[in-house]
Amino acid sequence: MKKKFWILVILLSLAFILSANGQYGFAEEPIIIAVPTSTGFVEGKEGLRVVQMAVEEINAKGGVKVGNSMRPFKVESIDIRDAAPGVPVPEALLGIEKIILEKKPAAIVIGPFRSEALLAAMDIVSKYKVPMLGTIAMTPASEAKIKEAPDKYKYIFRTCLNAKYLVKYLIGTMAFINKEFGFNKVYIMNQDVAWARATADLMKKLYFDKQGWTVLDHEAYPTGTSDFSSALMKARAKGAQVILPIFDMPQSGILVKQWNAMRVPALLAGFISPLAGPGAWKTFDGKIAGAVNCNFELGSAIASEKVAMSKAFNDAYTKRWGKPLEAGHSPGPTYDSVYILYEAIERAGSLDPDAIADEIKKTDRMGVIGRIKFDDGHQVIYDLNPAETAVAAVFQWTDKGNRVIVFPESIAEGSIQLPKGLKSLK
Amino acid sequence: MVAGTIIYALINSFILALMAIGFNLTFGISGVANFAYGAFYVLAAYVSWILLNLLEFPYPVSAVISILFTVILGALMYRFVLLRVRGQPVSEVIATFGIGLSILELFRYLGFIGFEYTMPVFIDKSFFFFGTYVDMQRILIVIIGLCLIIFLWFFTHHTSLGLAFRGIAQDERTALTFGMDSDRIATLSVSFGAGLAAVASTIIIPLGTISVGEGYDVLIKALAVCIIGGLGSTGGVILASFLIGFAERFTDSYIGSHWTMIVSLAAILIVLIIKPSGLFGKQKELEERI
Repeated sequence: MKKKFWILVILLSLAFILSANGQYGFAEEPIIIAVPTSTGFVEGKEGLRVVQMAVEEINAKGGVKVGNSMRPFKVESIDIRDAAPGVPVPEALLGIEKIILEKKPAAIVIGPFRSEALLAAMDIVSKYKVPMLGTIAMTPASEAKIKEAPDKYKYIFRTCLNAKYLVKYLIGTMAFINKEFGFNKVYIMNQDVAWARATADLMKKLYFDKQGWTVLDHEAYPTGTSDFSSALMKARAKGAQVILPIFDMPQSGILVKQWNAMRVPALLAGFISPLAGPGAWKTFDGKIAGAVNCNFELGSAIASEKVAMSKAFNDAYTKRWGKPLEAGHSPGPTYDSVYILYEAIERAGSLDPDAIADEIKKTDRMGVIGRIKFDDGHQVIYDLNPAETAVAAVFQWTDKGNRVIVFPESIAEGSIQLPKGLKSLK
Repeated sequence: MVAGTIIYALINSFILALMAIGFNLTFGISGVANFAYGAFYVLAAYVSWILLNLLEFPYPVSAVISILFTVILGALMYRFVLLRVRGQPVSEVIATFGIGLSILELFRYLGFIGFEYTMPVFIDKSFFFFGTYVDMQRILIVIIGLCLIIFLWFFTHHTSLGLAFRGIAQDERTALTFGMDSDRIATLSVSFGAGLAAVASTIIIPLGTISVGEGYDVLIKALAVCIIGGLGSTGGVILASFLIGFAERFTDSYIGSHWTMIVSLAAILIVLIIKPSGLFGKQKELEERI
């Protein structure tokens, strides 16, 4: 009885000490990183885990030096559900405002999922002067707003790929396919959301129309669509050689299954979120061989031996959470964003939002996505060489269930192989 | 192309019929609009996935257990929740919707988010029909859907329990005078409806992925089909499934994919304006209002 009493006293004392000194045993108040995003979707869920992992790493090394004190990071999150079909933008904005007012964060990481929500949230974030490093929403329209009113929107940054850069990588992939196999008939299928529409339109305008490709058809699908048979039949009937899919909804996996089951003799090359991670092979029972997918950032569920940090990050994630990353968009830049913020606060020496924003803008560091620098629209610059800029990674699923990076050349591990039943025109 | 569109429209129609038939059965007999229906659909899929992938049960065993589990849960929902609010439609809707939300959001909370939640197809083959490939899973959907419709007709017309179902559906008070236990029949109708959601889930989910959002989509589709066909009318539900199924696929093929989702909503509006109780609905009080 006495022994039990003393154990209880010790446990209560420990609990008191821990609660008195904060979560990590720091004497100083934690610095709050807010993560308002769609945590019910894989990009948001894994992104949040990445923020937690990066914060644990930083806190384990002593925390963040702010002036003369060392302070820990602390993560607060809210599911703003903006990625779910039918959820209005104002509801997402309420979530963002709530976390800003209640948790008083020093910065926001990840941010809105849908571009529509990001554009609407920019004014709220600026009103409360909270530096934000967005890692999911991709519309270039946010950069235009920042360039129009740089003082007002000085707190808003994006570290993930934007739609323009995605177009650049997709153009590179299509040019490679055209050069290698002589294909020039494409069927475009995209999700009916801002970033996907913008990407598809830009592909048509900037590449297919100019380079003499025939766009056989261009279909936009509402989020939640679960049958793609009509488009696949049309693609077959019209003789499509390449199908360009641009989707980030879970149901887009159905497109891959139908493409395989209907034996459409066309190369599936674009972005389908469920194809991004290593688990896709098992998920789709190995029926995805030959599909080419663009993971938006290196490090997001794909690593290259040529960028050691991308591999170390993916390994660390698997070790920390017990399973590998599956989201081909967000995890890489999210991890880098926490470190960008960490370094910016240390350089600023305070939590003054203007000082932090100024320091974020000056960032020049090597991360898991490559070299990170911001342009005038507060967008991380993406190009083809990870030593100079951040990079995306276009890969192909092989017959053996491996992913081989095929573009950009600086990190390529092989070239595109045509799936069975599809012959080169060269 | 036309033949292919007809084939996939037929498949789409059976998918819609399978999604709606359980909701319709429950409403037709007990009068309960089970708004937890979509949640039961997703619940069965996740239970099956857990049994197959985490506990490594054989696929058929996982499917059967998940269906039985959903049937039992449906019965429990009636006995412990709906029985107390029976006869108060608004309370029934609120209660079932709340239960559905709780089930779906519980899965979200537990971290069932991602692309790995898929079920394998029953038979991995494709067949070439009239110029298009169709996979065996979709052919099975048509066959099983057809069998289920025939079974339900036989059950409700040639078994004593089925006749009791119809008796309660036609006139509960008169049925009571014949010694039929309306609460027992209502319990069975809710659990049968939940079971039919689980059967639909077992057959349809292998085409895609399991996600929480699917629960809301299935509920909306079931409601659309039932409203157009007439709540409580099995024939109406089947006809509405074919109307929407064909309209969706032909819209997709010949007008544009982004118009597809509008088809069912437009159909609901038109039917509500012209015939508020649905094509085969028997709610005369609604008819008399126009």
